[in-house]
Amino acid sequence: MAQIEIRDLGIDYRKPKSDEVFSAVDGVALSVEKGEFVTIVGSSGCGKSTLLMAVAGLVALSRGSIRIDGKDVTGPGPDRAVVFQEASLLPWRSVRGNVKFGLEMQRWSGGNLDEQAMQMIRLVGLGRFSDYQPHQLSGGMRQRVNIARALAVDPEVLLMDEPFGALDAQTREIMGTELLRIWERDKKTALFVTHDIDEAIFLADKIVVMGRNPGHIKEVIKVDLPRPRDEEVLDSEDFHNLRKRLRAHLAEDMSSMQLVQEVA
Amino acid sequence: MIAELFYRRQALILGTLSMVGLVVLWQIAVDGGFINPFFISTPSQVWAEFVVQFEDGQVAANVGATLYCFAWSMGLATVAGILLGMLAGWFSDVEAALEPFIWFKYSAPTVAFYPLFVAWLGYGTPTIIAIAFLFALTPIYANTLSGIKNTDRDLARAARSFGAKPYDIFFRVALPGSVPVMMAGLRLGVGRALTGVVVAELFGANAGLGYAITYYGQLMQTTRMMVSIVIVILLGVILTQILSFLESKTDSWRTDTGR
Repeated sequence: MAQIEIRDLGIDYRKPKSDEVFSAVDGVALSVEKGEFVTIVGSSGCGKSTLLMAVAGLVALSRGSIRIDGKDVTGPGPDRAVVFQEASLLPWRSVRGNVKFGLEMQRWSGGNLDEQAMQMIRLVGLGRFSDYQPHQLSGGMRQRVNIARALAVDPEVLLMDEPFGALDAQTREIMGTELLRIWERDKKTALFVTHDIDEAIFLADKIVVMGRNPGHIKEVIKVDLPRPRDEEVLDSEDFHNLRKRLRAHLAEDMSSMQLVQEVA
Repeated sequence: MIAELFYRRQALILGTLSMVGLVVLWQIAVDGGFINPFFISTPSQVWAEFVVQFEDGQVAANVGATLYCFAWSMGLATVAGILLGMLAGWFSDVEAALEPFIWFKYSAPTVAFYPLFVAWLGYGTPTIIAIAFLFALTPIYANTLSGIKNTDRDLARAARSFGAKPYDIFFRVALPGSVPVMMAGLRLGVGRALTGVVVAELFGANAGLGYAITYYGQLMQTTRMMVSIVIVILLGVILTQILSFLESKTDSWRTDTGR
């Protein structure tokens, strides 16, 4: 049985100050095997973040089900941890304090909090910066803290919501390589949302391409590039072919979006 | 090097210069016969009178009485303002229930309640404390409220993703995040509390700086009155500065969150 099993998923939102309801995600079905790295791509508004937040248990389902290891997701749980965009670090806590935060919230009892936190901080390469405040760090370093915070609680499933979206292209590439290095250690099941095509291919065992109105899965693409991967993969022919295929998908979405704008 | 020092401390130096300039101008205007000293006294006379009042114990008695009322009113306003602000910031029903009182407080002059407090508590210390308490309460309440209410949604969501319960979010996210804004409320409250004490003392007291100001004012003894006015100003500046300092200690992390 797959580790994550999503069936007929639908998520509706009520538009603010009206009774109008719109579907952010509809008819989504997806299974993710244990240890699989799955990336979710799509243009903005395709419901990819909503889907991830639903798996995290932070968004209520309107239809269908999400099961993890056979158990229905009804809210956040210690089997999952989320890596958010930069702004989710507590600005008044140090790097160590932030990494401990998740453990504190989960009432973690697996040993010394400080040791567990420091181990993760060293893993993401921030050993020397454990007493720094977030505002003293660069964007890339802050995202390392975010990753360390999620890994510290030792989840079964790692959920990442465009974690490198706010970083410049070069830092983003370095972070992708770093993420794979860390992931290779224990190959946790990972769901990674992005709008960057190269990032989606580089990280994935499987790419989920989403489309809009309402958010749905257009295609699931298997990625057979050899692991462990480094930047050289980016120049391989397989990589180029995958990129072409994804571009075509996203271009389709973009043109339909433009059409909507013109009509409006 | 002097030029560099000047640029670094420009605001402080200019501020000091304009203050000194005002004092010198004040002295010259009176000494030169441009203004009748009856209306405004002179810095040198005020200083001489200060020494007299200091030596005969008047300064200590008045400052002591004013600070006593200030401490009580500020202390009560801090406790009440923060507790009510936290409740109203967290529970929107409490905020809605308290809303009309805040409107009254903003639009109606608090001093208008003075006769009512006199009727309840009599002339003197209890009434002064009550009036100053009302003066200080609003900014402390309003800032605490907005701090808690405007808790960063991203941070709250991140906390929830790790299984945080509502009280975790209140004590670990909302409250620490509100400290700088609460400190700013306290800083405003300090100035208001002092104003409240002095205003209430003007109307009815038998000690305190406000009392001394009306007392000598009614006797037309300008110099003696000016001593207490100057002390009130200095007291206000010192107390507000202390709070500003504490405020800057608590919000170092806020300096560049805009990035």
